[in-house]
Amino acid sequence: MSQTPENGATLDWPAKYNEVPKEVFEREDLWPLELEKIFYGDEWHPIVHQSEIPNIGDYKAAELGEMPIFAVRGQDNQIRIFQNACTHRGTTLVTKSSGNKTEFECPYHRWLFSPEGDLVGCPNSREFTPDFDKKNFSLPTFRTEEYNGLYFITMSDTVAPLREYLGEEFYEPLGRILGGDGRLKFVGYQKVHYDCNWKAYCDNDGYHAPLLHLAFKMLNWQGGKGVQNVSENGHLSFESELKIPDDITALKDASILDFKGTETSTGSIVQMQFPLTVYSKHMDMLNIRYAFPKGPKGIEVHYAYFTHEDDDDEMIQHRIRQSSNLLGPCGLISMEDASIFSRIDKGNKTPGNAIFQKGVKSEFQLDLQVGQNDESGNLPRWEHYRKLMGFKRAES
Amino acid sequence: MANNALTLELKGEVEDLLNAYVQCIDDDNLESWPDFFTEECLYQVIPRENHEVGLPTAVMWCDSRGMLQDRITALRHANIYQVQWYRHIISNPVITTEDGDTFNVQSNYAVFKTCNDGESTVYNIGRYVDVIVRDNGVLKFKERTAIYDTHRITTLMVIPV
Repeated sequence: MSQTPENGATLDWPAKYNEVPKEVFEREDLWPLELEKIFYGDEWHPIVHQSEIPNIGDYKAAELGEMPIFAVRGQDNQIRIFQNACTHRGTTLVTKSSGNKTEFECPYHRWLFSPEGDLVGCPNSREFTPDFDKKNFSLPTFRTEEYNGLYFITMSDTVAPLREYLGEEFYEPLGRILGGDGRLKFVGYQKVHYDCNWKAYCDNDGYHAPLLHLAFKMLNWQGGKGVQNVSENGHLSFESELKIPDDITALKDASILDFKGTETSTGSIVQMQFPLTVYSKHMDMLNIRYAFPKGPKGIEVHYAYFTHEDDDDEMIQHRIRQSSNLLGPCGLISMEDASIFSRIDKGNKTPGNAIFQKGVKSEFQLDLQVGQNDESGNLPRWEHYRKLMGFKRAES
Repeated sequence: MANNALTLELKGEVEDLLNAYVQCIDDDNLESWPDFFTEECLYQVIPRENHEVGLPTAVMWCDSRGMLQDRITALRHANIYQVQWYRHIISNPVITTEDGDTFNVQSNYAVFKTCNDGESTVYNIGRYVDVIVRDNGVLKFKERTAIYDTHRITTLMVIPV
C-alpha cells in the first residue's frame, strides 16, 4: 500500500502503538481522505433493518459518508438501497428522513422512479439524445448484503463478504442482538448530535463505563464477567454476564431495571463495527446506533430500538420503557458519554498524543488479546485507520 | 369539543400551573418538580418524528411520581454534564374542559439553553399536550407529553422540559 496519500494530507504517527496524535481529531484536511479511504473504501456499512421499513413503499433516508442515499421496500417486497439523486441532473429524490411512497418523482423535470429503482417516466424524452433509453437511467445501487434483516452496503468491489469481514466473533453475537432470527419490530429513534469528530465518538470504549457512570455505582450495578474480542480490521465485541442488581435503594421506582428476558450468561453485548456503528443488547433493550459524521466536526447518532415479534404485550411495554429511560442522549446510565465527547473534543486542541494505558502490554506491538475492560481494544482500530490513511509510523 | 365549564377563574388556575411548572425548572427547584404530577402519572418527552407515525420510543418516559424523583436523584447525584440552565418560553394555552375538574390543554414551548461558558442556544422546540386534574383541590398533571419538533437533541438532555 502506498504511504503517500493522494490529496497530500500527511500526518506523522508516533512510534508507540498506544499513542494517537490528537491532531487526528482536529485536522479538517483529513476528512476528504477519510471519505475516500474509509467511507467509500473497503468497509461495510449498516443502513437499515427491514423492520424500520415494514410496508411496501416505506423508505428511509441515510448517508454514506457525504453521499445521500435511501433504502426502500419495493412492490416485490425486496429492500434496495439507492443513491438519493435523480439520474438526470442529480436532484435529491427524498427529503424526509422516512416515509412511504409508491413512486419517487423528481420535482425538477418530473422524472419518475419506481420503488425498484427503474426510471418509469420522463416527459419529452423524444427530444432527448438519439439513443436515449430509460433502461440506462435506473437509480444506482450498491453492493448489498443482508444479515438477520439488517442491510449493509459497500462501495467496494473487493472487500470480503460481510461474514468474513466482520469475523465469527463479531458476526455471531450481532445475530443475537438482531433477535437471533431478525424478526424484530422497530419502535422508534432517538437522535442526537455530538459536537466532536467522528473518531472521538468511536473511542467510546468499554473501559470508561464503570468509571464514568456513577449511575452504575448508585444502582449497585457492576458489570458481570465477560470478554472483549477485537479484530485486526478494527471491530470490537464485548460480551458479559448480565448481573441484575438486587438491592436498589437509590431508586424510588426500580421496576425500570427489571430483567424479563431469559439469557443472562452472555446477556449483555456491546459491539463497535468499524468505522463507527455500535450495536447493543443491554438488559431488555435491543439497539442499533447508526452514526453519520457531519464532516470533520460533529456527528449525528440515531439510536434505533427494537422489540421482538414473539414478545407479549408486557415485554413490549417493558422494552419500550427501558429504551426510553436508560440509554441514549437522555438515558439515566449513558447520557454522560455525550458530555465526555465534547470535552475530549475541546481537549484535543492541545498538542501531543492521546495515550492508551489499560491493558497495553507492549508499546511497540499490536496485541489482539485484550481483557474485558481494557482500553487497548481500541488500538487495532487505530492501527487499521492509520494503514488505510497511509500515515507513516515513526521508527522506534 | 364541549367546553361549557371553562370559566375565567379556571382558565387562570390552569395558566398558573403551566407557569409555575416552567418557573420551577428554570429556577432549578427540581426537587419540587415531581409535585406538579399526580401519584399515578405519565410524563414523556418524545420526538415528533416518532409520535406522528405511532412509534412509542421516547427520550424520557416516567409513569410514576417515583420515576420522576429518580430522574432528579440521577441528575443531582449520578449524571455528569456541563452546568446548564433552561429558559422556557410558553405560549398561551388552548384549554378545554367538560366538568371543570379535568382539563385537556395544549401549549407551545421553546427552551433556550445556556451552558456554563455563557453560550445560549435554541435547544428544544415543541408542544405540551396535557391532561390536568384536580388532586385534593389542587390542579396537577395526570399526563404531560412534550412532543418536540427539533430533529435531534444537542449532546444530551438531563433536565426535564
